[in-house]
Amino acid sequence: MSVVDDDQSVRESLPDLLRSFGLEVRPFASAEEFLASETLGQTGCLVLDVAMPGMSGLELQLELGRRRHDIPIVFITAHSIERVRPRVLERGAVACLFKPFSEKGILEAVSAALGTA
Amino acid sequence: MEIDLGRLLDALPGLVWTARPDGAAEYIGRRWLEFTGMDHRDAVGLGWRRAIHPEDAPRLLSRWAEIIASGRAGEVEARLRRHDGVWRWFLFQASPLPEASGAVLRWCGVNTEIEDRVRAEAALRDEERRFEFIVEGLPAMVTLMTPQGELESGNQYMLDYFGRTLEELKARPVGFSFHPEDRPQVMSRWRRSVETGEPYDHEARLRRGDGVYRWFHTRGFPLRDAEGRIQVWYLLQEDIDQRRRAEAWLAGEKQLLEQVALGLPLSTVLDDLSDLVERLAPGCYCSILLVDEGGDRFKVGAGPSLPPRYNAILDGKAIDPRYGPCSLAVVEKVPVITDDLARDPRWEGSVWPGLMAEYGLASCWSMPILSGARDVLGIFAIYRHEPEGPTAEEQELIDRFTKIAGIAIGRARADAALKAGEAELRQAYRHLTEAQRLSQTGSFRWDLTADTHDWSDETYRIWEVDPGTAITTQMLLDAIHPDDLSATEAVVSRAAQGEDFEQVFRIVTAGGAMKHVHAVGHLTEPAAGRPVFFGAIQDVTERKTAEEALNRASAELAHVARVTALGALTASIAHEVNQPLAGIITNASTCLRMLAADPPNLDGARATAQRTIRDGNRASEVIQRLRALFARRAPAMEPMDLNAAAREVLALSSGDLQRRRVIVRVDFADDLPPIRGDRVQLQQVILNLILNAADAMATVEDRPRDLWISTARAEPDLVALSVRDVGAGIAPEAVGRLFDAFYTTKADGMGIGLSISRSIVQAHEGRIWAAPNDGPGMTFSFAVPSGLEPAEAAPGPPNSVPREA
Repeated sequence: MSVVDDDQSVRESLPDLLRSFGLEVRPFASAEEFLASETLGQTGCLVLDVAMPGMSGLELQLELGRRRHDIPIVFITAHSIERVRPRVLERGAVACLFKPFSEKGILEAVSAALGTA
Repeated sequence: MEIDLGRLLDALPGLVWTARPDGAAEYIGRRWLEFTGMDHRDAVGLGWRRAIHPEDAPRLLSRWAEIIASGRAGEVEARLRRHDGVWRWFLFQASPLPEASGAVLRWCGVNTEIEDRVRAEAALRDEERRFEFIVEGLPAMVTLMTPQGELESGNQYMLDYFGRTLEELKARPVGFSFHPEDRPQVMSRWRRSVETGEPYDHEARLRRGDGVYRWFHTRGFPLRDAEGRIQVWYLLQEDIDQRRRAEAWLAGEKQLLEQVALGLPLSTVLDDLSDLVERLAPGCYCSILLVDEGGDRFKVGAGPSLPPRYNAILDGKAIDPRYGPCSLAVVEKVPVITDDLARDPRWEGSVWPGLMAEYGLASCWSMPILSGARDVLGIFAIYRHEPEGPTAEEQELIDRFTKIAGIAIGRARADAALKAGEAELRQAYRHLTEAQRLSQTGSFRWDLTADTHDWSDETYRIWEVDPGTAITTQMLLDAIHPDDLSATEAVVSRAAQGEDFEQVFRIVTAGGAMKHVHAVGHLTEPAAGRPVFFGAIQDVTERKTAEEALNRASAELAHVARVTALGALTASIAHEVNQPLAGIITNASTCLRMLAADPPNLDGARATAQRTIRDGNRASEVIQRLRALFARRAPAMEPMDLNAAAREVLALSSGDLQRRRVIVRVDFADDLPPIRGDRVQLQQVILNLILNAADAMATVEDRPRDLWISTARAEPDLVALSVRDVGAGIAPEAVGRLFDAFYTTKADGMGIGLSISRSIVQAHEGRIWAAPNDGPGMTFSFAVPSGLEPAEAAPGPPNSVPREA
């Protein structure tokens, strides 16, 4: 699975946490970086920050849809979640979490994503 | 028997005598001699003649000679001198004493005194003469008529008037000389008088010898004999033509002046005037020409008897003194008389004489009609077929009616000017009304004492009162919105002292509509010592509604903006803090999992713990950055006038306060020293206190929302400003916490205003406090040091010399 977040704290902490559950995780600092990587085709679950400089999480979701990469997505955001959540869920996201999220919250969301894959 | 003849004669009563046939006295009786005092010897023969009055002697002697010659009895009257020298009238009678042959033998005579009869006759003759003298001397006709009503005789005046002899007149039928129009009535009245003997009294026209009729007043009285039978009618006939004419002139003038006074059309008055003059002066044709406004052309005013074509030629004719007498009279401003057209050299070369001749006119008398200012208003002209000048009487008539024409024309001109002025005024009034209508501004005049109100149409419209309704001050007070009443009354009472007034207030019309009106006015020159306002009132409801909508919109916008800004800020803060928090929590979770692993991943746990610390620091930095962002800048201290600062705040917030029906009352100390402070920050404090006060009174409905703002020197070196409201007040236990951050007594308050205010005041080394009023509401005050040294700030005694700076 992949974590795409412009925030270094998340990029450093979240993969470690997920790995502790035995998941293989690769972090990316931007949507463009993720799209350009080889990992794209191998990713079974994407944890994606909503607001990022450059391509936003929402745009990446659309782009993946256009490229027919049907990757389950768990959105995370530090901004107000209420406006974003319905939109991303409508477009097929598995979950949308508000930073800071709990260990339980992220694990359930990721599990759900992987389970659906 | 021989009787002495002498004795016999002397015995006869009377003065007797005899004379020889030749007339010489032969015997003279004793009584004759005694009367005259003459001797017989002196009297006989021709001696007696000395006793005859010298004036009578020639007549007597001639008569005596006739008698002697005739041989028949005769008599003569003459005066005899009495013995005492007094003359007495005697009748001398002589009879012949004939012989048988028939010749006169002797003359016998007797003298009878007739003094009394002669005197009576003389008196009668005198009376007759006097009567005749009077009758002939009377400036009137005296006519005697027979009891049957026929002419008997008349005085010379009568004969002269009719120019006929009495015989010629007697040959005429009775009443022949009266005017045919008057004759029937004259005859019927005269016949009645003759039948009944009643005096006759009537006025009628009599034809003079030259054919002219003149008015006479005839009065007739019957003279009766002892038996009461009418002997003769005396008629006194007075020429009253002058009086009748004067009366006719006066009546005409009166009628015309009445027409002028009634404002009848000028053409009517001038036509009537012409008709009248033509009636009073037969043979005259009137023409009245008006000088037009430019003063260079004629306009026909009247000419009822002149040929219409002649009038048409004159109408619009240019005034040219060489053309004819009317033009010349305008230019020269004097009468111009052409008494004989054919012989007047002035109009040679003009077409006018030919025109006159065409209509058979031979003379033209042109009188200028002058105004009071001696401007020529027009021409009054008389035309005649005969080549004549005006008689004195005609001249007087023309002069008088020229004046009347001047009055009529002057009046018509004044009326026209007045009408033009009125039209102008009406137009100005229409403009004013239209402007008032468009600007929704009405005007009014208000006599406070008499309680009389003079309103324009628009003012009535604004108050929605039927125009013309009598207005009373009470009606106005009743219509003013109760919340605005006291403030408006206060403004009016100040205005009554001479202040200009300006006030926006609400009225509720009879129809129930609420209107905002803006009234301005001032005291005008008092009428009869009473205050009278003149002012204007504008319906500003639309503007006010728009303003209020705008205010509401801007308040909402401000609220939205505040909320939005706050939301954005919150979001921003949340984002900035949540990011590191997410890292911290995730790291901590990871750290716990690493420590709980078997074997524990200590290196990993250490690394994640370090990242936790890093993220924690990062969150702390975020907060620090925020604090730095919002850190208050240092106040910019400068000398400032707290009164002026407060006035600015009031000016900025007056609209808001008025909308919230807050009545601001100001009491600024005059002697306030300047302070050192940050103007903008202190104004924020003042604004905050004012808005709080307004908020506190938002629900007050039972009393005016009075807000007092005052300044004063608190201590020698402190300047204080207080804001007092009449709101609900604050519970005593809450007062202590008012200035704490996030403490609020308001439903929608944030609890930061007073907290910030306190910070600002404290930054100025001042203090802020609140205290409940004796009555309703609270007073919030702050005090800051004055910019002066304490010694300078201390109020000095009056007249103290200011210290040199």
